[in-house]
Amino acid sequence: MMLKTFAEYPPRKRVGLLAILLGIIAAFVGDPTGGVTKRVNLKELAMIASTSNDKVDAKDLAKWIIEGKFDYRLVDLRKQEEYEKYNIPTSECIPVSQLLNSDLMRNEKIILYADDEFTAAQGWFILKANDYKGVYVLEGGLQCWKDKILFPKLRIDASPEEKIEFQKMAEISKFFGGQPQTGATVAKQTAEMPKLKAPVKVKLKKSRGKRKREGC
Amino acid sequence: MTAPFYKFGYFNDEVSLIIAFVIGLFFGFVLERGGFGSGRMLAAQFYFTDMRVFKVMFTAIVTAMIGLFYFAWMGFLDLSLVYYGDTYLLPQIVGGLILGIGFVIGGYCPGTSGVAIATGKLDAIFYALGGFFGIFVFGEMFPLLKDFFYSTHMGKVNLPQFFHVSYGFVLLVVILVAIAGFTLVEWGEKVVAKKRTENK
Repeated sequence: MMLKTFAEYPPRKRVGLLAILLGIIAAFVGDPTGGVTKRVNLKELAMIASTSNDKVDAKDLAKWIIEGKFDYRLVDLRKQEEYEKYNIPTSECIPVSQLLNSDLMRNEKIILYADDEFTAAQGWFILKANDYKGVYVLEGGLQCWKDKILFPKLRIDASPEEKIEFQKMAEISKFFGGQPQTGATVAKQTAEMPKLKAPVKVKLKKSRGKRKREGC
Repeated sequence: MTAPFYKFGYFNDEVSLIIAFVIGLFFGFVLERGGFGSGRMLAAQFYFTDMRVFKVMFTAIVTAMIGLFYFAWMGFLDLSLVYYGDTYLLPQIVGGLILGIGFVIGGYCPGTSGVAIATGKLDAIFYALGGFFGIFVFGEMFPLLKDFFYSTHMGKVNLPQFFHVSYGFVLLVVILVAIAGFTLVEWGEKVVAKKRTENK
């Protein structure tokens, strides 16, 4: 017999053979990083960022919710506790760290929001870099949602057009359980703003469940 | 638990220093036992008389690579979070050459000179002093060298990314290169030994 058995080789050659074997297996078992490292098309991202096409206006979002549009998924990136205190109706809570483990699909229209635009933008980048196609950010974040939708303000010296616009916004605001604020009450109301979040909560929870089932 | 522990916040900065100290002690011990504490042994690499250090070093690299690859593959380690520095191609080539020349002349690399100082070797003490002097000179000259120091920046790039191949393939290539290298240097050792006996 020309071929020696494995045990007959000296130890150094056995170790060498083992290393080659492990190397050959390694070449075929795939990526050890689990695909978390990505190549990103920076130019494409910069192009999208330079336009505002990746942002959704709070008023548009409010209209979609009222109309019962379901062609998007609204994602709240804040912590679970904050989400439970208040969230925008039809939203679901997915913290940034969980974004890639969530059931969000790459072909879905996804609207992200957090307290400010910054956190949402971080989530936007993570999803975009991971080949999610339609990712959007709520312009101005939750703060803007509060200012524009929940507590719209009418200045005392408002023009007639502004007053008509305010009437519309007031309707929307009431739908979401907010309080439109007119001239005299503006200053007083602002201090109480955080407390006023509560009324919407109950309604949201239900819609959230519905939303979740749809996602599956 | 998944590694790297530090990145996942399993311990803080202070504890990381203690762990580094303990690992450093073991590292120094292993280097000394591997023959890395002797300037003669280290310099022998460049004269092909005794390639022990080369073999130990390359074996360590291959062992670590296989270990990291399979740990990552099994999910014990998140390879994407393991730190390595940015690539500045030209300055790093020049830096490597300077280090190599210093290595041949002095008989140590910065780490092994520390090991040799621990065993009280005088040449290592002078080597380390020279190293510190070099650091000082470099620091003073830095404004002049700055442009070159930051040139040819390639960002964080590793071999699989650079050559667009899989991690596993790079691992296989390094293993084959190592084994070819071992065979080559052992042949070199024999040739040099033969010449020496002939010259005597």
